[in-house]
Amino acid sequence: MSRLLREERLGRTALLTQNLAPGKRVYNEDLVRRGGAEYRTWDPFRSKLAAAIIKGLPDTVVAEGTKVLYLGASTGTTVSHVSDLVGPGGMVIGVEFSPRVAREFVERVARERKNVIPYVADARDPSKYSVARVDLVYCDIAQPDQTEIAIANCTAMLKPGGTLLLVVKARSIDVLKDPEKVFKDEKGKLEGRGFEVLKVFELSPFEKDHALIHALAPR
Amino acid sequence: MSGAETPETQDIEALRQRSIAAAEDAIRLASSRPDLHLVQAIQALDDTDKFLNITATRASEWYGLHFPELSQMVQDNVALCKIIFEIGGRGSYSPEALSGRGFTEKKVAAMMEARDRSKGGEISEGDLAKVKSLGALAVQLSALRGVLNDYVESQMKKTAPNVAEVAGATIGARLMAKAGGLDRLAILPASTIQILGAEKALFRSLRTGARPPKHGILFQHQAVHTAPKWQRGKIARTLANKIAIAARVDYYRGSEDATIKAGLDRRLEGIRERYKEPPQRKPERRDRPRRDGRPPRREKFRRR
Ligand SMILES: C[S@@+](CC[C@H](N)C(=O)[O-])C[C@H]1O[C@@H](n2cnc3c(N)ncnc32)[C@H](O)[C@@H]1O
Repeated sequence: MSRLLREERLGRTALLTQNLAPGKRVYNEDLVRRGGAEYRTWDPFRSKLAAAIIKGLPDTVVAEGTKVLYLGASTGTTVSHVSDLVGPGGMVIGVEFSPRVAREFVERVARERKNVIPYVADARDPSKYSVARVDLVYCDIAQPDQTEIAIANCTAMLKPGGTLLLVVKARSIDVLKDPEKVFKDEKGKLEGRGFEVLKVFELSPFEKDHALIHALAPR
Repeated sequence: MSGAETPETQDIEALRQRSIAAAEDAIRLASSRPDLHLVQAIQALDDTDKFLNITATRASEWYGLHFPELSQMVQDNVALCKIIFEIGGRGSYSPEALSGRGFTEKKVAAMMEARDRSKGGEISEGDLAKVKSLGALAVQLSALRGVLNDYVESQMKKTAPNVAEVAGATIGARLMAKAGGLDRLAILPASTIQILGAEKALFRSLRTGARPPKHGILFQHQAVHTAPKWQRGKIARTLANKIAIAARVDYYRGSEDATIKAGLDRRLEGIRERYKEPPQRKPERRDRPRRDGRPPRREKFRRR
């Protein structure tokens, strides 16, 4: 059985991820049993990656066994689901800048999950956590220069041709610019640096003026 | 794949344990409440300002008995105290002793001349020693002031970057001090932040029905005090709104968010545009009885 399940409920798609730390909740998600295993509900209104998957990001992108660099781990809500998805054979290096939110991330997620390695560090300085090559870089740090930061991290740690998932919050890049234009500009920046942009997923209705860019690093 | 214990997985587990320990150290360090140190530092800065003022004024007045012309010529109190402490009595003045203090040659010549014609009296070694000590103290206080000021600036950038950006470091720190810490500031409503530091006026207004204050500490912000009177309340309210947001982002998220300052600038621009002209007085408000039960204000207060 897959580590990611989709279920139709009341005409809506609900996502479930197989709990890597059975019996334990990370926030107030539901724990449910499916086919003899425990799953956790994954709310697209709380997690932009879940929203992107519902909007069509292929399940195979965050597959079992993937090694992930996750920038902007925050309290670890989404990281915990990525940890579920990549499973015991995968790895998530989670980077969060703010000690205050990192506390929950370390306590509730990193301590409980053997595939999560936490760093309280600034994503502008990958040398602090560049401990492995990864298959995927996920970046959700809401900074005006986040695309440059993401690219620098890909250069430091992503294997050639690896995947970049970049969350773009239009308002944190430019308050006045039309979101569509912001998404296009950020896409252009990636292409200018040799990335192949596969698709830009707008995250409405789950998030307003947010998009997730799915790209592949140069080979 | 399973989680079998191969050498590689052992290495990863060791790395993970080290990372967790390091992350917890960083978290512990941050939770030593730098905001409370900041609150002390800004209060120390304000105290130091007061001491500095008192000490420098006393030194210059006392020294004025001996060389009254000097304080007219040196406006900066700290520079004056430095001269008192380093040069001392009138007899010790020379162009060399006055050099390296940022005075022009002309000014130095004028000071020498003032010295020669001074109407000040003699001063004993004992008295001079005391005046010099006061001067030295003022110079030290001024150095301390600089250190505290730099500390407040840099710590605010680390501890409350968004409040620092929106309110300015010192005003932000003063608001934090009034509130009792970043955590408290983060839960205050904007309407309270707007009048922090104006408690006296607020209570007076509650007691007597006088108008409530429009701003407290925020009056120190240049966007407020440089604005025409009729805009100040609106500007203070907008500023307070953005500071409330900034404090929450600083406390709960801890990262910089440039959109807050950008939003503030836009709103201020809007206020300056919209309320360019002074408003017409609204007479109808004056017709109601005032809160303390006195009759409404009379016609003669109206202006058309
Ligand atoms: C929008 S939140 C991420 C939410 C998270 N990805 C989720 O879905 O649960 C952005 C996070 O990025 C962090 N952040 C911002 N700038 C950063 C930087 N330069 N390095 C590391 N983390 C940063 C912030 O502290 C914040 O917790």
